[in-house]
Amino acid sequence: MNGKKLVIALAGNANVGKSVIFNYLTKLHQHIGNWPGKTVEKAEGTLHFKGYTVDVVDLPGIYSLSTYSTEESISRRFIAVEKPDVVINVIDASVLERNLFFTLQLMELETPIVIALNQVDVASKKGIQIDFEKLEKILGVPVVPTIAVKGVGIFKLLEKAVEIFEGKLEAKPRQVKYGEEVEERIEKLAEAVRDSGLPYPARYVAIKLLEGDREIQEEVEKSKPQAVALARSLGEELERLHGHSCPTLITSERYQAANYIAREVQKLVPPVKPTLGEKLHNVTTHRVAGYLIMAASLLSLFFFVFAVGNVFSDILTSLLYGFKPFFERVLGAGFFEELVWEGVVEGLIAGASVALPYIIPFYLALYFLEDSGYLSRIAFLMDSIMHKMGLHGKAFIPLILGYGCNVPACLGCRIMETQRERLIAAFVTTLVPCAARTVIILGLVGRFVGIQWALMLYAFDLLVVFLLGRIAFRILPGEPTGLIMEMPDYRLPHLKTVLSQTWFRLLEFMKIAFPLIIVSTFTVKLLEATGILRVFTSLLTPVTVAWLGLPAETGITLLFGVLRKELALIMLATLLGAADLSKALTPVQMTVFTIVSMFYIPCVATIATLVMEFGWRKALVITLSEIVLALILGGLSFRILILAGLT
Amino acid sequence: MSSTADTGVSEVPLAMLRDGETGIVVSVKSGYGKAWGLKKRLMDMGITPGTRITVVKSAPFHGPMEILVRGYRLAIGRGMAERIFVRMEETRAGCAEK
Repeated sequence: MNGKKLVIALAGNANVGKSVIFNYLTKLHQHIGNWPGKTVEKAEGTLHFKGYTVDVVDLPGIYSLSTYSTEESISRRFIAVEKPDVVINVIDASVLERNLFFTLQLMELETPIVIALNQVDVASKKGIQIDFEKLEKILGVPVVPTIAVKGVGIFKLLEKAVEIFEGKLEAKPRQVKYGEEVEERIEKLAEAVRDSGLPYPARYVAIKLLEGDREIQEEVEKSKPQAVALARSLGEELERLHGHSCPTLITSERYQAANYIAREVQKLVPPVKPTLGEKLHNVTTHRVAGYLIMAASLLSLFFFVFAVGNVFSDILTSLLYGFKPFFERVLGAGFFEELVWEGVVEGLIAGASVALPYIIPFYLALYFLEDSGYLSRIAFLMDSIMHKMGLHGKAFIPLILGYGCNVPACLGCRIMETQRERLIAAFVTTLVPCAARTVIILGLVGRFVGIQWALMLYAFDLLVVFLLGRIAFRILPGEPTGLIMEMPDYRLPHLKTVLSQTWFRLLEFMKIAFPLIIVSTFTVKLLEATGILRVFTSLLTPVTVAWLGLPAETGITLLFGVLRKELALIMLATLLGAADLSKALTPVQMTVFTIVSMFYIPCVATIATLVMEFGWRKALVITLSEIVLALILGGLSFRILILAGLT
Repeated sequence: MSSTADTGVSEVPLAMLRDGETGIVVSVKSGYGKAWGLKKRLMDMGITPGTRITVVKSAPFHGPMEILVRGYRLAIGRGMAERIFVRMEETRAGCAEK
């Protein structure tokens, strides 16, 4: 450690193997969290190389550097404001043209770049040969061919980055030359914004103004409103000259440049036989076979997650309960011991046995689906159905997983592209009856009222989910959703990357969720021990007894249900003093109780997840609105069922 | 939109193309104010005027379309596909591209 520091940012399109390179570089020295205030993941790590402490930041996978998506905005700001010493631009050798479109924009930011020409092996299998030395010459930046999954070229990549940093290697990115008419106006506009005080190069600001970039417009408006007006009039001139809107023109010309470069450096030899991946793609997106395969793979995913989860859950529970005698010995049986045990340790057990065992297999399965490319095929097949509730196809995954446990389901909402879609998906996901709620539905209504009623409750839930999804879609401001999604070639997920992604996200989850689970468990136990809970129960009677028509005891059970939903049922049996609940509750009461527990609040682990993903405010809004929803639905169904002649 | 069927050249929404058909992008309509971002996004993904697009297949139930553009596979929603206007190309079987 001699204090020499180097900051490297990894940037590039999605599905190019960026995270594999990141994992290869940083190994176990990573930290995964969110960008401040955003639901966008931030992965950072460190390594030591040639006497340097190298900080690596993995920027989100994006296709452009405009600002209509949070990811793009974050990446752009990071490169321009934080000024990493070197940006490693990872590009997919088999989709060179589209990747270069992004590279050209990076070059416009005038940042030192090294290009990792990744997956050269896959490209050559597809019949694409790339002359990387020529590419190097045309772009004016070092290009290193890599095969990230095998670690090929990674060392060289770092070497080049250090050489650039030390000034031994020149990385003077060439600038894209647009057409003459465009170029003229860019220069004029660049002159006008030269001292606007923005962190970006003047030429870049000029180009983005002409491209109609809203964020840049707003920023320039503050210091140089006349430049925005100039951009508008220059843009109109170009529109008259070319017949296309100015943003279209600039984007087209940049793509033309990318196309030109790609054609210069690549040689195409179309393969004779369609590859295995190609065949797999055709089957998995087939209008009949595709759905069958999807159903089979999602079912096995579901069972994998919950079978593995159940095993772990049991092991952890019995392991942790094994500490009880030890606890009693140390603290002595009594009030204090009970409070610590039931308040703190049981909270910990709840967290460890309810959430944790399911999260591990879930993350593994999710990354496997995502990295292999299958997730995008599922989204393709399910898009039209999910679209009816304002979400696109990818939302199907969290929704299905919600039937197991809402926690991983909410975490899975990350796969949605925009903040808005993530929020809608998470909201509807928390309304899906998870395994714990299934215990109540089947254990109460299914057992004592009839299985057909239990099934009707499931159907009812689905209807509510569907309707609320639609409503949320209408209410929440933002852009309409539309699917624009790359379907990358199938590939075998890189096991080490999947494992480390799972591990570091698990750490993040424990850091945020466990304190919350423990604190709330402790609070409820404390309230119970001090008798305050009884007071609460009587305060709740207007709601529980008068509005919902339930026994007063249900007040307590519903409060406990916040910790773990199935506790609501277990406690109900204890409190009513009847193992046979049909003697203590009428069928209507059972149904109403089940409806309320189905909707009233995500459990504390889910709330913790919502907090982690969306922040306190949104988590609170979701929680409160679901309590209101449950009460409305419960009260209404009580009255309707009575009117319908049930007792 | 404007279709001049008699000359053999017609400008139609991409959504009208059948599986296996190819068209050259003429324009992308942005629709109302907020959809501006979607238009930009389509273009950033490579769907700019003059680009050749081949429809591979459509998902059932009026689902998204799988298209080939600039050498990669892209799925776009039906609504998007209705905004992209293409000129149909007379493609003869066996006619090599490029």
